[in-house]
Amino acid sequence: MMESSPFNPRRAFLLLGRLFLGGLLIYSGYTKLFVPGMKPHPPVGVALALFATQIDSFQLLPPWAVTRLAHTLPFVEIALGILLVIGWRLRIWSSLASVLLLGFLGVVIRSYALGLQINCGCFGPGEALTIKTVLRDAALAAVSLLLTVFAFLEARASHPWSRKVEG
Amino acid sequence: MLRQHIVAGMVLLGLTSAVTVLAGGGLSQAKVAATDVDPHKAFGSKSAPITMEVFSDFQCPACRTLYKGVWPQLFENYVNTGKVYLIHRDFPLPMHAHSRNAARYADAAARIGKFEQAEQVLFEKQDSWAASGDVDGTLARVLTAAEMAKVRALVKGGALDAEINRDVALGQGRRVSQTPTCIISRNGQTYPVVGPQSYEVFHQFLDQLLSQK
Repeated sequence: MMESSPFNPRRAFLLLGRLFLGGLLIYSGYTKLFVPGMKPHPPVGVALALFATQIDSFQLLPPWAVTRLAHTLPFVEIALGILLVIGWRLRIWSSLASVLLLGFLGVVIRSYALGLQINCGCFGPGEALTIKTVLRDAALAAVSLLLTVFAFLEARASHPWSRKVEG
Repeated sequence: MLRQHIVAGMVLLGLTSAVTVLAGGGLSQAKVAATDVDPHKAFGSKSAPITMEVFSDFQCPACRTLYKGVWPQLFENYVNTGKVYLIHRDFPLPMHAHSRNAARYADAAARIGKFEQAEQVLFEKQDSWAASGDVDGTLARVLTAAEMAKVRALVKGGALDAEINRDVALGQGRRVSQTPTCIISRNGQTYPVVGPQSYEVFHQFLDQLLSQK
């Protein structure tokens, strides 16, 4: 008879957390490529050029870097999201997701503090950067950090099925 | 294993719905009605493939950045060549004490065919009149005494507020809440470009739109 694994809150968080963050990153990349808020969807080239204008409004990078980032970030988000959902090498990909989300949080805090009247560009066009954006990005970065910490702790812990039976 | 897949499916479904709500839903796709356009504040050919409505506040520093950094090349390469029809829309933000008055003066100048001069001096001398509130004196630098008399009469007439309010209502109808916001239309599709831009990135977006059939 098969023995089920005992409920472990940390393991449950790892499962839900990676599915949540992975799904979120996939959706985020998807919105930048296909702009689901627009009907009909614009061609990918137009969507990426529009995303570039959103990055540019943050006034952080030179134009050439803005263009490169706009053409790279959506694909990075989707790839990272898929890897998190799969759960393979979780320590590596959750660490990378944490770096990415902390980067987003830093940029959003800076723009909010400077009072820039811009769109966030987080999930496609049309979302103003407000305190709600800052709080949401902070919550997502916290989930990602917790996921990373748990992934490292879990890798050091012994699996419940591998425990030696006494006697 | 089956339980894990069910949980995964439910999480992804919930996530997609939540993010769509958080991201604010769909985008406005209102078209530009010819009657809404003041010919004195519109530039380029009406039959241009791209229409660009710029919701702007004369006291907003980012609007000045856009005006100074993008407008000269935009006019040279897109407006004057018939590719872009550019419409100025007033969107004075309540947070700026003198922006509505500046919009009144600019609109009055537009009525006598001097909008470009008014726009230029208001952005060039923004720091000065934004601090002192002397919009009248700022415009007097570029208009003749006779022109200023006409502008003052129009401003005192009070009819210009209706024009400004109409632009603000148009913007709010298109979910404009910040300045500068450019609502760019091509083939019935509208794209919001918000905040200051560099010409290099902006023209790539316009070129992408123009490459569409």
